[in-house]
Amino acid sequence: MAATPLLELSGINKGFGPVQVLHDVSLSVYPGEVTALVGDNGAGKSTMVKCISGIYQIDSGTVTFEGNQVAIHTPSDASTLGIEVVYQDLALCDNLDVVQNMFLGREKKRGIVLDEPTMEQMAGDALASLSVRTLKSLRQLVASLSGGQRQTVAIAKAVLWNSKVVILDEPTAALGVAQTAQVLELVRRLADNGLGVVLISHNMNDVFAVSDRIAALYLGRMAAQVKTTDVTHSQVVELITAGRSGNLGLPPEKPAAELGGDVVDITPGGEK
Amino acid sequence: MRAGPSQEEVRRHNLGTLLRYVHVHGATSRAELTSRLGLNRSTIGALTADLTTAGLVSEAAPLETRRAGRPSLVVRPESSRVYAYAISIEVDRLRAARVGLGGHILDRRETDRPRGMQVLDAVEPLAEFVREMRVGVPDDTRYVGTGVAVAGMVRRVDGMVRLAPTIGWVEEPVGPALRSALGDAGPLTLGNHADVSALVEHSRGAAAGCDNVIYLYGDVGVGAGIIADGRRVAGHGGYGGEVGHMVVNPYGRECSCGSRGCWETEIGEYALLKHAGRDQQSGRDAVLGVVDAAMRGDSQAQFAVRQVGEWIGFGVGNLVNIFNPEAVIFGGTLRDVYLVAAAQIRSRLNAIALPACREHIRLRTPELGNDAALIGAAELAFERLLEDPLIN
Repeated sequence: MAATPLLELSGINKGFGPVQVLHDVSLSVYPGEVTALVGDNGAGKSTMVKCISGIYQIDSGTVTFEGNQVAIHTPSDASTLGIEVVYQDLALCDNLDVVQNMFLGREKKRGIVLDEPTMEQMAGDALASLSVRTLKSLRQLVASLSGGQRQTVAIAKAVLWNSKVVILDEPTAALGVAQTAQVLELVRRLADNGLGVVLISHNMNDVFAVSDRIAALYLGRMAAQVKTTDVTHSQVVELITAGRSGNLGLPPEKPAAELGGDVVDITPGGEK
Repeated sequence: MRAGPSQEEVRRHNLGTLLRYVHVHGATSRAELTSRLGLNRSTIGALTADLTTAGLVSEAAPLETRRAGRPSLVVRPESSRVYAYAISIEVDRLRAARVGLGGHILDRRETDRPRGMQVLDAVEPLAEFVREMRVGVPDDTRYVGTGVAVAGMVRRVDGMVRLAPTIGWVEEPVGPALRSALGDAGPLTLGNHADVSALVEHSRGAAAGCDNVIYLYGDVGVGAGIIADGRRVAGHGGYGGEVGHMVVNPYGRECSCGSRGCWETEIGEYALLKHAGRDQQSGRDAVLGVVDAAMRGDSQAQFAVRQVGEWIGFGVGNLVNIFNPEAVIFGGTLRDVYLVAAAQIRSRLNAIALPACREHIRLRTPELGNDAALIGAAELAFERLLEDPLIN
């Protein structure tokens, strides 16, 4: 458990015209850890990821990467720093093979021709570093791959570039059972290899199965960022749906005095 | 009075250390061995030469290097020439494999084991597998020994397997039976399935680098391989790690061991299938069927998985308080149950385990999957060679 975050956002604000989407949001991503980013639909998860990856510009706030304050204006700024995002739709081309997809737009060249052997070697190494055994050939067309295999290729593509932070948007959403298990193990292995991983998920089992920290967004605010060893399922669900749980999370919207002075504890009991 | 280890003993020890390193980590350059083992370059060179002469490792120039200077030779284990047979007797299947030095599976055979089949009846088909594999072995190879992983309690001294079927305890001399069925088979070592899997995940799998590990293996029952301070905790007779018979519910169901409310009566195959309303089914596929249904939204299956998840968290919480492990690995069908019930397992664990004991815990699934038992069984056979590489 490293003490210093790899990527740290603080006081991030982002609005689209009159709509303020992110209010003063902070997030820390540590190397070797999976940070799960959870929140209801419209809580601002995707906006936040797009701010990190340079698709949106933040209105105010600071981004610190490896201890240095940085400005991310474009997606290429993000990838230069070593931040890669795997989107839900994966952005793979069906008519290209695995290696071509992994190097798409960033092909290695030797002189004026493509350096196929090096690319194949690098792609193979990236897959091997993740202990991927499900792919038969690196020259298979992506069209012929299953959902889980595609997800694997997209993730391997993200680690190929010596990336330091990998952000995964709902990687298990469209997968079958066996493939979900494989992708979860892959996500864990990314972090165990020393990367900082951000996992966006709606599935509490996925979150608890692989994450080290959980960051819960509620209506554009960061309700809490907690260690997975310190919370229960119901607390996280409360953070997502109400923004607070017991003494975790956002302060109550109305001071207790306005309710007549008596503090009414409406926290639900245990899970059973 | 002895002054200390002799030069010969030091050399043998260093040979063992070097061989063990490449056995576990695979091909390694001489330069890296020098820094990892803390020996000087000429010593590494001499040791490697000895091991090469003994036919245990080979050296070659690396495929490609972009750095200036003469590249350091890469030392790799002779996986295809030095091998052991690995046999795994599990609840649902019988497996045998030929495993090369370095933990590579070179050949394998597998068959189902019908429920209720006696362990001694499994000896013959397994011996047949080994005989089949022997036919294809090239001539210039070296056989080291046979290792056997048994899903049962194994007496350390003689490989006696003690089992608990529904009526009473029986002792089955699996070791001697296999030895006579295999004919001239050289050294034969038996170990508990969960124990050997734990050792492999510890040395080269999901818990590499962790010295305190609990490997849980679930099928009909639940067993554990426990590693504390880098060593296996096996107990006086070798029977330790029977966490499935830790009593968690004194008012629970009767267990096959004769006690009541053992952990495996709450988290084993039967409990999951019963909660899911599928009592009449059994076996690994039935368990995976419940997991699959739960992920697809079947409410009865989700209830079953949650219920079992709570109890898994309960038992793991207790184990975490006792052993303070760095990693808990869920193997067998527990892998699949863990991934679908992680929210319950974690929540219950966090509620039960003391903050100091749980703060650095990693919950993991096995990296070597079902091969862990086979590689682990082979490890039992390789152990003698790694202790003293020049042994014959």
